[in-house]
Amino acid sequence: MPELNRLMMTRVVATKEALDTAVFPQNHQTIRIAPDEVLIHPPVADISVDDPYAIIVSDGSFAGVWLSDAESRTLLSHNCEWEPPEKRPSFAQGAVGGIATKIIFEEEQSLFIVPAAMAAEFEERLP
Amino acid sequence: MRLVIDGKPISFDEDDNLLVALLKADEHPTGGGCLCMGGDCFHCLATVDGVSYVRTCQVPAKPGMVIDRHPQDGYPQLPLDDTTTVEIHAHNKFCDVVVIGTGESGTAEIVKARSAGKSVISLDTKDGQEAVGIYDGPLVIARTAEGMWHINVKDEIVIATGAAEIHPVAPGSHLNGVMTSRAATQLAQAGVSLGKVVAIGSPPENIEVEQLSGDIIRFEGSTKVEAVVLEDDNGDEKRIACDSVAVGLGFHPRNALYRMGHGLPVRVVGEAALESDIPKCPAAGIVCPCSHVSVDDLNYTWDSGFQEMELVKRSTLAGTGTCQGSVCLPYLRSFLLEKGKELQPSFTARPVTKQLTMGEIAAGAHHHPTMRTALDAEHRALGAQMERSGGWWRPWTYGNKAEEYWAVREGVSIMDVSTLGKMIIQGPDVLPLLERLYPTQVATIKDGRSRYVLLLNERGYIMDDGLICKDSDNQYYLTFTSGGSSHSEMWVRDWAAGWGYNIRMLNVTSTFGAINLTGPLSNKVLEKAGVTEPPKFIRHKMVNIAGVDCRILRLSFTGELSYELHYPVEDSVKLWRALMTIGQEFGIKPHGLETLLTLRLEKGHIIVGQDTDFDTTARRAHHDWMVNLKKEEKFIGRHSVIRTNRIELDKMLVGFEMDGEPPIEGAVVWYKDEYAGYITSTGTSYVLGKAVMMGWLYYFDGELPENVVIDDRPAKRVPTPFYDKEATRARAK
Repeated sequence: MPELNRLMMTRVVATKEALDTAVFPQNHQTIRIAPDEVLIHPPVADISVDDPYAIIVSDGSFAGVWLSDAESRTLLSHNCEWEPPEKRPSFAQGAVGGIATKIIFEEEQSLFIVPAAMAAEFEERLP
Repeated sequence: MRLVIDGKPISFDEDDNLLVALLKADEHPTGGGCLCMGGDCFHCLATVDGVSYVRTCQVPAKPGMVIDRHPQDGYPQLPLDDTTTVEIHAHNKFCDVVVIGTGESGTAEIVKARSAGKSVISLDTKDGQEAVGIYDGPLVIARTAEGMWHINVKDEIVIATGAAEIHPVAPGSHLNGVMTSRAATQLAQAGVSLGKVVAIGSPPENIEVEQLSGDIIRFEGSTKVEAVVLEDDNGDEKRIACDSVAVGLGFHPRNALYRMGHGLPVRVVGEAALESDIPKCPAAGIVCPCSHVSVDDLNYTWDSGFQEMELVKRSTLAGTGTCQGSVCLPYLRSFLLEKGKELQPSFTARPVTKQLTMGEIAAGAHHHPTMRTALDAEHRALGAQMERSGGWWRPWTYGNKAEEYWAVREGVSIMDVSTLGKMIIQGPDVLPLLERLYPTQVATIKDGRSRYVLLLNERGYIMDDGLICKDSDNQYYLTFTSGGSSHSEMWVRDWAAGWGYNIRMLNVTSTFGAINLTGPLSNKVLEKAGVTEPPKFIRHKMVNIAGVDCRILRLSFTGELSYELHYPVEDSVKLWRALMTIGQEFGIKPHGLETLLTLRLEKGHIIVGQDTDFDTTARRAHHDWMVNLKKEEKFIGRHSVIRTNRIELDKMLVGFEMDGEPPIEGAVVWYKDEYAGYITSTGTSYVLGKAVMMGWLYYFDGELPENVVIDDRPAKRVPTPFYDKEATRARAK
């Protein structure tokens, strides 16, 4: 059975304008989870945003697992009460089996990101 | 091919459904009652392969099937074994249109919707897809061979489920051999021997029958029908001997799904949209076979004043049974028409229309997730008994509470407190925001200092507690209770946005782990770990322990010298093990929640949500010293605090002590045989050798009683804290 592993990220909270104009490393996954919040995976040592009050922390509070397209479709069919996007690549977030989940959909696989504190519960829902 | 009914093997033919197979073997599944072959009534129910309430007319017979009849009285037995059953999955589906029923009218709707470019999901019982409920969303729930379909519909639900035949209501209608006209046709075609068939009303097709006319008075027979008695146009009774009676009394729409879709985009078409035939009001007999409601029961209900359809349903329970009104509804309408001279509408239907197994109901549902800290595996490896608390799995005890307790009081101990709510908040408006959120003067907190604070709601009641830690003028670190973290985050976000303050905030509850190092030897452990200048009481700073950067906060919930270490969560195991190793020479032991609850009780420290209630003011809880009414800023709850301060106190959170075993939490406090309050926290104090408690106590004649009765034993009100009243241990150097 697939297992979730802790994901190290850089977490940035800043004004929407600062995040809109920030330049993030291209070889990283930059996940805009809210107008004022970005997750960068893997973490970056140095990042600059145009907001003197930005909160930038190294964050290990999420865990993730890559699932094949077939596995992710089965998981979502059984546990997702909202319609996942068919478009690839794409990003979506919402409850999956009652657990707040962020999903990065790629052509042949998808990364499911959940709070690490709920990783064990999420594993119980995996196909 | 054979199957088994009540332990007896019977043969069946390839295309038989279960009911046909049973009838061919002269085994009626319920012993009698009008059969419909449409899945509408409850007269063919049986337990099939362990699943009760299966409509045998809708299930193909398969070799090896095990059928058990339901008991004549009572309910089918629950499975006696606890063997694991196959998990039934939910399948979430999404479409524009759902069409339920794929007969002529349903098929036309499917074609029309698809032509308009709509995505369509169709359901039909003949294909093994049984729609059983419609909910807000709109959401259609269907039972299928692959599991439960949860269909989320964007545009419309079309009901094309046709019409059901009206059953007869007359004495003897429970006999074996009574059937609807369509059922007679289908049973005969399937090869069931019906003997001499008499037909009343619309006759069955392609069967030789004796057509009768007149109103049904009764069916006669012992278990099988032997004759039907009719009343002719002259009012005379006539008795006709027969083996089977086929009744064609008209149709009523199968529109239960439509009737449960009030306010939702549900449309009914075809026969399901037609007006129901209204049968003649019966003079006697069982109207609702599922709930055993007779014509006499209806008359009694009418005479009792329940004269509207919904009231009749609730009063008699007619229509609430297995078939959900499929049999009785036309007769309830005809009865009310006869009595009130007005045709009343059908009653509202509610999900579900068919019996589901617990597995089918639970499909797609999960228990509320309980979070685990990054140290969860460490606790379990140490043999901890884990309990749910505040939404987290937490170690309750590692096996020996006394050892854990004395390690804290006399040595050194650690506890995983990662569950505490934590928040970084910064920005140019952070100070004015905090001044309005908290009833303390935040501006007087200096850099590197912390303050224990309450969070009040608009009514001035205690909502949460925690710390404000000041890092710099524009940057603070807040803590909240474990269970109150999410709500407090929402609270802070909501007010900050509402007031338009320019701040940034991040809930770092799971970003940072936390360990409480506590006990008089805590400093020794820190010193050995290289922290030679730990912060003074109610101060905080950054340190490095065993290669882990930690925010170290000096405070005490246990009553002993204590330090909270907040650190990157991914370093949790590394830090925990380092502290256990470093502390080994000082006898360090981990302690669980059970021990902590006793330690803090001895100190009289409240737990918000346990010792507080929804009407707990700071004043009632002896925490009015934490509410600064002199501060200039108008904090949330201030107006209510001023108002309630003018009111005479009626109760207080107080301490009690007594000899012997402590009473349970929630135990009632009595004073002179009058209710005087209840206990919120209780335990045996190891260090004091007696039971200590906190609880609510009402005033009597303007005074709080000193001597009360708890658990039928005398108890005494005493001031808190129970232990170390001067707090010298917590503030030790």
